[in-house]
Amino acid sequence: MPEPPGGLRPPPSRRAVLAALGTAIASTLTGCSTEGAGASSSRGVTLTFSWWGNDDRAARTQEAVRLFEREHPGITVRTSNGEFGAYVQKLATQAAGGGIPDVAQVDYRQITQYADGGALLRLDSFVGDGTIRTSEIDRGFLRTGTFQDRQYAVPQGRGITGYAYDSALYQKAGVSAPQPSWTWEDFEQANKAIAALGLKGPDGRPVTGANDGGGNEDIFETWLRSRGGQLYADQSRLGFTEDDLTEFWTYFDRMRREGAVASAADTAQAGSTETSPMGRGLTAADFTWDAPFPGYTTLLGDQIHFMPVPTTGGRAGSYFKPSMLLAIGAHTAHPKEAAQLIDFLINDPRAGDIQGFTRSTPPNRLIAANVAKTLEGPEVEIYQYAQKMEQYGLDAPPTAPPSGDVAIQTAFTRVYQRVMFELATPRQAARELIDEANRELR
Amino acid sequence: MSTLSTSAPARAPRGTVTEGRRRVREKQWPAYVFLSPWMLGAGVLTLLPMAVSLYLSFTDYNLFDPPQWVGLRNYAEMLAGDPRYWRSVGTTMLYVVVAVPLKLALALGAAMLLKNLSSRGRGFYRSAFYAPSLLGASMSIALVWRALFNDGGSVPDVLGSIGIDTGGWVGNPNLAVFAVVLLAVWQFGAPMVIFLAGLQQISPDLYEAASLDGAGAWRKFVSVTVPMLSPVVFFNLVLEIIQSFQVFTPAFAISGGKGGPADSTMFYTLYLYERGFTASHMGYAAAMAWLLLIAIGVVTVILFRTSRSWVFYADEEGR
Amino acid sequence: MNAATFGVARRKWLPHAIAVVSLLILLYPLVWLLATSLKPADEVVTSLDLWPSHLEWSNYTTALEGVSGVSITRLFGNTLLIAGGAVIGNVLSCSLAAYAFARLRFRMRKVMFAFMVATLMLPHHVVLIPQYIIFNRLGLVDTYWPLILPKFLATEAFFVFLIVQFMRGLPRELEESARIDGCGPFRTYWSITLPLSRPALITTAIFTFLWAWNDFLTQMIYLFAPEKFTVTLALRSFVDQSSTSAYGPMFAMSVISVLPIVLFFFVFQRYLVQGMATSGLKG
Repeated sequence: MPEPPGGLRPPPSRRAVLAALGTAIASTLTGCSTEGAGASSSRGVTLTFSWWGNDDRAARTQEAVRLFEREHPGITVRTSNGEFGAYVQKLATQAAGGGIPDVAQVDYRQITQYADGGALLRLDSFVGDGTIRTSEIDRGFLRTGTFQDRQYAVPQGRGITGYAYDSALYQKAGVSAPQPSWTWEDFEQANKAIAALGLKGPDGRPVTGANDGGGNEDIFETWLRSRGGQLYADQSRLGFTEDDLTEFWTYFDRMRREGAVASAADTAQAGSTETSPMGRGLTAADFTWDAPFPGYTTLLGDQIHFMPVPTTGGRAGSYFKPSMLLAIGAHTAHPKEAAQLIDFLINDPRAGDIQGFTRSTPPNRLIAANVAKTLEGPEVEIYQYAQKMEQYGLDAPPTAPPSGDVAIQTAFTRVYQRVMFELATPRQAARELIDEANRELR
Repeated sequence: MSTLSTSAPARAPRGTVTEGRRRVREKQWPAYVFLSPWMLGAGVLTLLPMAVSLYLSFTDYNLFDPPQWVGLRNYAEMLAGDPRYWRSVGTTMLYVVVAVPLKLALALGAAMLLKNLSSRGRGFYRSAFYAPSLLGASMSIALVWRALFNDGGSVPDVLGSIGIDTGGWVGNPNLAVFAVVLLAVWQFGAPMVIFLAGLQQISPDLYEAASLDGAGAWRKFVSVTVPMLSPVVFFNLVLEIIQSFQVFTPAFAISGGKGGPADSTMFYTLYLYERGFTASHMGYAAAMAWLLLIAIGVVTVILFRTSRSWVFYADEEGR
Repeated sequence: MNAATFGVARRKWLPHAIAVVSLLILLYPLVWLLATSLKPADEVVTSLDLWPSHLEWSNYTTALEGVSGVSITRLFGNTLLIAGGAVIGNVLSCSLAAYAFARLRFRMRKVMFAFMVATLMLPHHVVLIPQYIIFNRLGLVDTYWPLILPKFLATEAFFVFLIVQFMRGLPRELEESARIDGCGPFRTYWSITLPLSRPALITTAIFTFLWAWNDFLTQMIYLFAPEKFTVTLALRSFVDQSSTSAYGPMFAMSVISVLPIVLFFFVFQRYLVQGMATSGLKG
């Protein structure tokens, strides 16, 4: 605040008081706070538990939590949920301001930052003594919740990427149903073949092969992995070069210029699946995750199926990724009870039945197989898809990305938009992104 | 803003001021009792957090680890090493220059219209003109806005039918910012109410006198309304400019917090938010906030300086 | 004479005609909002038509069931409690501070006033985290105090400023005579100045209520338990980027949530202009 001209200075004593208060606040910023958001109540133990997600997930999670409370008299669980963007900000504020809830759902991209910053409790001892049972979880998959080889979070759902595509259009264009071994060249040919049909969308504009995926970091990672590369070499270095990114962006840029994928304006105005080019009937395929896939069939019809992400010469870049993980706040007063809640949500068959596929495929194999029996329609398709991909052979997932990844992910979309709108060439843009990414990883 | 504060005591008659001052000097404590809630709030909830943020602006602080003192590095990077910072400054300036006059013009127009409407139904009209401002920039309003301005939406359709082919605004980096501007302009209720209040204060005698002099509607507007209203215009201008520098919600809602496409709606505070909360560079965000505060302060002071030449105070002769 | 009658008639209907035409344009997005709230799920976000193919009233029944097991009456009750507390707090504390600034003399008055006005310029994101730390230290997170307490401490400078300007426009005679009758500053404030300032106080109340009703950020940061959630928080719970979202009920809930403030505004709007009227921006 600029001091007003001619203003009187406060007497030194008051200034000293302010300085002292400032120091007090500054010391709280260092994170040495006393207790987490969940203080214990006088009778029994009260846990706080928060997650993001829609209303359906909230209803199912709460039902599972009520069951846990019945099974563990003396433990009360206070739950809270919110929309993803708001949740992420709230969790960050809580972390900075004295501690996250006892049990919190965290994103793959948050683990490094939260674990490194001392916001999460190490779970190794609970995993070791069986408080959190992990025997039915794939070992490589469990590793996605680690930071520097310590377990900080347990995956709560398993997702895999693919393309929702319009099988009728593919058939019409003479493209046979894509197999797990199909390649990026095949994908380009398919897109061109569909564009060549000369079909018009509902608003009279040409139908192209797919949504423009150039701005999607997940697609780039899959593309890199299919060539044997990776997004991050370690916690502070990128795993790809300017040439790699230039090649990737040139690939999509070329397809867009040739009219094989959606136009720049259509891609930029998309705010959701419904308003994306595919949702508007302007393309035949869109990159997505297995869990949201049923939404595409509801929106567009039963001819929509799920196909694998293209490979490079047969090597698949897809991997099983945790859709979300559960972690314990470092400041919890009740670590054991918190661990029990995590174990219950992940391993109890009844909790599994209640929660179903609301967080993608359950990580516990037995529960997943059990829940799969209740699936219907497109859910069956994605369950079988995951099994098929598992048999085809996928490389192990990488460990949690470095803390700069959140910023790099948004930069990826933004910088590619400069290519889309011809404000930068793919190479200029690649250089821009790498500069920015290196600053974030510094 | 200090001009506003200094002028009031000067208006009190000379004699009573000195007399009052002597009396009050004996009893200052009632004033502090009245002020105690404000002083507590200003101290603990404003000054202290501000001091903390000033300290943070000289640190590298990721919300998790203790802040690391880096001196002026954040400021240096902002001014010399961050093209996105300057782009956000440019976008915000564009917004201020376009949105503020547009919003004030609409607010003034609506206020004059409301003043001319007969008292019957005035409550309805006033509420109806204010209605858009009641909604804020909620997610549903943002979705409606996208639907209206997207490709195939009502606005490009209407413009297309009169031969202006714009295509969708939200996906066009050159037009997206104007969709945000129009959302902010659409919610002109607050300045409208202030204008309306100002208009009602203008004595009808002045208009009658102008009529007797043979002045038409336009002449009356120029020589009565404009000068008499100039303090209110000034007040609205200052408030709107301060708010526009801090524009956040409409852009956040329409772009889903991303400021896209291609940073075209990445306003200053949106970028500040992205740096602080998405990328966890709270020190950098704090430095940005302090530069913004200084910039707003400077602009406000300049406005007050220039106001002397165009703002007309009816009671100035009394000074 | 003909022309004169025409002129008078025109003066009567022309403003109405202009008002109606401008309202048609201005309120079009609101009509869109209303129409969307009745659209079936597959038309809510994608349809380019204003009117739904058929009226989907189930959006409203879903919205009325509440969110995350919290009933809609509870959500509205919580919002009312916060908005009501904010109104009382702002009216009391801002008028107290304003009275001191407008009528009393004390050391550093100018400095404090300038500081108060300068806080109008403060970008609030930057004090968010320090404020959160303070409230967390006080153990007040997940209570309504962080949302209401600041209002009792006159932290919204806009209203202090508004009331100061209003009080400055009031005649001093009444207060002077009250003082001669032996009234202290507190009696004078309570029984003379405050009643006279009613329009400014109502203006403060209206804006406080509207802003508190629409607030999202602070509520989101400070409230944890769903049973404490407000209408704006519940609105966000319908939509989640990472899972299937219920847009139809969200629009329905938006319409429901805006009705009370529209009514509120319609009832109190006449005071609004009055409250601004003499807040004498005369400097």
